[in-house]
Amino acid sequence: MVLLGKIALGFGATVLLAGAYTFREGLIRVDVDETHGRGEHVHVWAPAALVPMAMHFIPRNQMLRAGEQSAKFMPIVHVVAKELQKYPEAELVEVQDGPQYVHIRTHAGKLMIDAEEPGQTVHVSCPLSTIDDVSRELASLAPAS
Amino acid sequence: MSNHTRRIFPVIAFLAAAFLYAPLRSTAQTSSTQSSTSAHGDRWLHVRVISTNSKGETVRVNVPLELAEKVLPAIDHDRLHNGKVRVGCMDCDGVDVRTIFEAVRSSKDGEFVTVQSNDEDVSVMKKEGMLYVHVHDKNKPKHSQVEVKVPMKVVEALLSGSKDELDIAAGLHALAGQGDVELVSVKDDENTIRVWMDSKNVTTD
Repeated sequence: MVLLGKIALGFGATVLLAGAYTFREGLIRVDVDETHGRGEHVHVWAPAALVPMAMHFIPRNQMLRAGEQSAKFMPIVHVVAKELQKYPEAELVEVQDGPQYVHIRTHAGKLMIDAEEPGQTVHVSCPLSTIDDVSRELASLAPAS
Repeated sequence: MSNHTRRIFPVIAFLAAAFLYAPLRSTAQTSSTQSSTSAHGDRWLHVRVISTNSKGETVRVNVPLELAEKVLPAIDHDRLHNGKVRVGCMDCDGVDVRTIFEAVRSSKDGEFVTVQSNDEDVSVMKKEGMLYVHVHDKNKPKHSQVEVKVPMKVVEALLSGSKDELDIAAGLHALAGQGDVELVSVKDDENTIRVWMDSKNVTTD
């Protein structure tokens, strides 16, 4: 009975700590809602903590190819993400063109992109630290020029 | 639950609570510094475009100068390399832009160019370390006004690179050292464009 209690406590504490870590790192959130056409709704909520870990399970050749393809712009993404972490609350871009609307900002250390046009809305939210990690990883895989 | 388990349970609970609390605390800190004036004296470059046409286009861009300074050297595209942009017309039709600027820089304050015609008035003047360009287009129904105000130090920094290139990164760096300033103002019958710099991280209009 005592042993079972210990196992349950260990399991519970692990789940609690894993949950706490996940929430601490934040969530990557992508919401796409179409009201026209096929009316698709895509909602992806993924723990940001998983992304750097998941990258280690991607086959090396695939990662090298991704690094090669993104070689030109990934260092820029990396610098932007790294620098934007200094500005956790900032309104960066807001464009209203008739019914079309784009809003890019940082909020609570996340990059948030909202885009709306008739029949479609897209909301993306991603922790800047995750973009920083991923872009650094991909930039390091780029072939030396 | 054994005595040993009872002893470590509060420790685990405390660690979990502290871990959970961490993001809340950082959120609280960030929201307390969410005021329009940036916390650590950052300089922000703002661009605002407002159209009064049927679509009512509005563009608001706020960029921290420090970010722009860091990002520019990372861009290697077309004419932009290492924070410098190559321009092919620094010696336009035999007019050496650098020499003219050098002459303006070393001269006293005053109005250097004044063109007045039925179509437009143009004036270029230097005053208290600033270079002013003013264009008044009389052809449009509502006369359009273009005003450009650039600190001389910024122009100097822009021209500090080698021949046929503008050192944008150096220009931004010089701009960061200036006070609040309205750099560009364009007003015509359809559009209002403003480019200015201050310490606020939001556009207040």
